[in-house]
Amino acid sequence: MQGTPAGGTSPGPSPMDRQTLLVFSLILAAALGQMNFTGDQVLRVLAKDEKQLSLLRDLEGLKPQKVDFWRGPARPSLPVDMRVPFSELKYIKAYLESHGLAYSIMIKDIQVLLDEEKEAMAKSRRLERSTSSFSYSSYHTLEEIYSWIDNFVTEHSDIVSKIQIGNSFENRSILVLKFSTGGSRHPAIWIDTGIHSREWITHATGIWTANKIVSDYGKDRVLTDILKAMDIFIELVTNPDGFAFTHSMNRLWRKNKSIRPGIFCIGVDLNRNWKSGFGGNGSNSNPCSETYHGPSPQSEPEVAAIVNFITAHGNFKALISIHSYSQMLMYPYGRSLEPVSNQRELYDLAKDAVEALYKVHGIEYFFGSISTTLYVASGITVDWAYDSGIKYAFSFELRDTGRYGFLLPATQIIPTAQETWMALRTIMEHTLNHPY
Amino acid sequence: MQPRRQPPPAPRSGPGNPRPTPLLALLLLLAPVVAPAGSSGAENPAQPQDAGVPRRLLQQAARAALHFFNFRAGSPSALRVLAEVQEGRAWINPKEGCKVDVVFSTERYKPESLLQEGEGRLGKCSARVVFKNQKPRPAINVTCTRLIEKKKRQQEDYLLYKQMKQLKNPLEIVSIPDNHGHIDPYLRPIWDLAFLGSSYVMWEMTTQVSHYYLAQLTSVRQWKTNDDTIDFDYTVLLHELSTQEIIPCHIHLVWYPGKPLKVKYHCQELQTPEEASGTEEGSAVPTELSNF
Repeated sequence: MQGTPAGGTSPGPSPMDRQTLLVFSLILAAALGQMNFTGDQVLRVLAKDEKQLSLLRDLEGLKPQKVDFWRGPARPSLPVDMRVPFSELKYIKAYLESHGLAYSIMIKDIQVLLDEEKEAMAKSRRLERSTSSFSYSSYHTLEEIYSWIDNFVTEHSDIVSKIQIGNSFENRSILVLKFSTGGSRHPAIWIDTGIHSREWITHATGIWTANKIVSDYGKDRVLTDILKAMDIFIELVTNPDGFAFTHSMNRLWRKNKSIRPGIFCIGVDLNRNWKSGFGGNGSNSNPCSETYHGPSPQSEPEVAAIVNFITAHGNFKALISIHSYSQMLMYPYGRSLEPVSNQRELYDLAKDAVEALYKVHGIEYFFGSISTTLYVASGITVDWAYDSGIKYAFSFELRDTGRYGFLLPATQIIPTAQETWMALRTIMEHTLNHPY
Repeated sequence: MQPRRQPPPAPRSGPGNPRPTPLLALLLLLAPVVAPAGSSGAENPAQPQDAGVPRRLLQQAARAALHFFNFRAGSPSALRVLAEVQEGRAWINPKEGCKVDVVFSTERYKPESLLQEGEGRLGKCSARVVFKNQKPRPAINVTCTRLIEKKKRQQEDYLLYKQMKQLKNPLEIVSIPDNHGHIDPYLRPIWDLAFLGSSYVMWEMTTQVSHYYLAQLTSVRQWKTNDDTIDFDYTVLLHELSTQEIIPCHIHLVWYPGKPLKVKYHCQELQTPEEASGTEEGSAVPTELSNF
């Protein structure tokens, strides 16, 4: 249990130290013995003189025990604090009143306080002050990820910075990490994870990857060469509203949370909302569908933010959009069976990337164009990227192939991230070596 | 996920290139090897398609066959998952549906058992699957090589049965797996039995284009019985891949080790409850096939 002061963020001890200690011990008791303190109160009594003090001491001796002194009877000038179980309240208050002992109620219901404290503790435990204690092999909440981002940027400010590229429908920040060794408008690589909120393995992989980049920079020759010439941008939580919803209400939510007047169902599939073959096969005009494309291309703020950012930047050379599940690495088009002009190159690159991935843990991936490998899908990210001139546009579907699906056990996060990294690195290296 | 303990194969490419086996190599001579500028499209109902064309269709057929096989076997300890489609042919009639012959390999659903059983232990199945357009319940004829010794399977089933019977009721289940993908070992028998029951549902609902996975169990209720059978109700969430929809289904099943599984279900997209009993004649009998 962390020794942080209840709910506080200041480093020093709080003025309510003793009470805090007692509260903590109650929490422990509650946790271990599953005790319930509902309705119990803490009374503060002021004894005027020694006579009143001894009356209080008498309470201590009662069997069965009726009070629990937090601050025992010592001297008349000092307040006496005692915890009174709910069942004894009537008796004790009558006792105090009949003997003229003045008292006030310090805590009206201990259980409520305990619950609040527990929540605050858990919260402060999650909002770690450094990334060294952040667990890369667990799934995290939005708050935890955003907190990690701030710590991460602080710790690696020499090559990492944070950019807000817009706001989600429910007004959450949309954040991008930029990895750069300097220069102005270096050719760039884009990676996004979490465009579909239920695909938790993707955010987890993105976070691990970000850390991998800063760890390996200066050590891995290939990565160092990439970063010397190019910038990498990673958007970890591409659909923050949807992601928050998977934690709070519906673990299997896919879309964003946009609402439109007169429309009964919520949300647009952000991977059908792009301006490339918008509204075609493999997307749905029914707002209640999981592949609802939205009213118009880029109608969703989460998509518009990326489009605006990439377009304004003007120098992206590769775009990789990460999903789960199915274990596939694919390139455009999704909207039709028509092959892209550099299909042969993309096929060979995908093949190399998948082989590099396989070498890590023996996991097999299918590869090919989206329409022939997975299904026809219109208005998707990588089709838009390709049509916008980004020649190296890839889409991943990470582990697994259906055994756990979206609910991939956290024990698979690091192995998945490790193998995916080798594929990403292959693609980035190729992009570096084939400038255009 | 257990890595495959075999010599590293060439990774799988698009529909033109399933991993070659000697038999398949022959078929591949007829089909384009380099991928995927789309299907070769020929739809003459009398002619079999090349292996090159409908990898997806072969997979659909294998999945349907495997769901059916699992249901017929009625053994929650002997559940199988698809390892790899190896070869197949399809006869497509756009107006009516299609008939698919497919050979595929399977592995045990329980990952732990891969370590116990020895490395690379794969079962082989061959199936004929007939999909009828707009109609559920593909007709299946499937045979598989035995993966687990019959006695061992019976023992494991009986152990699972005992574990189920020992569960305290009412079961306070929120979801299995939990949102982080974890299944409490204590709850594992519930999941395996639910998967078995869901196999029936997924068999019926698989078509040429739709296929399903069991995403999560969201409620479980076990009933006391007079006759020692396991009787329980549960709600599952199925994930359909081509539409990405999540379909809640309510399933009621009755099971006893060695006896056919009885399943009733009602999924949110279907309007009528379905009833099934394992007493129909079927052909999903595991046998040793000497030519595999």
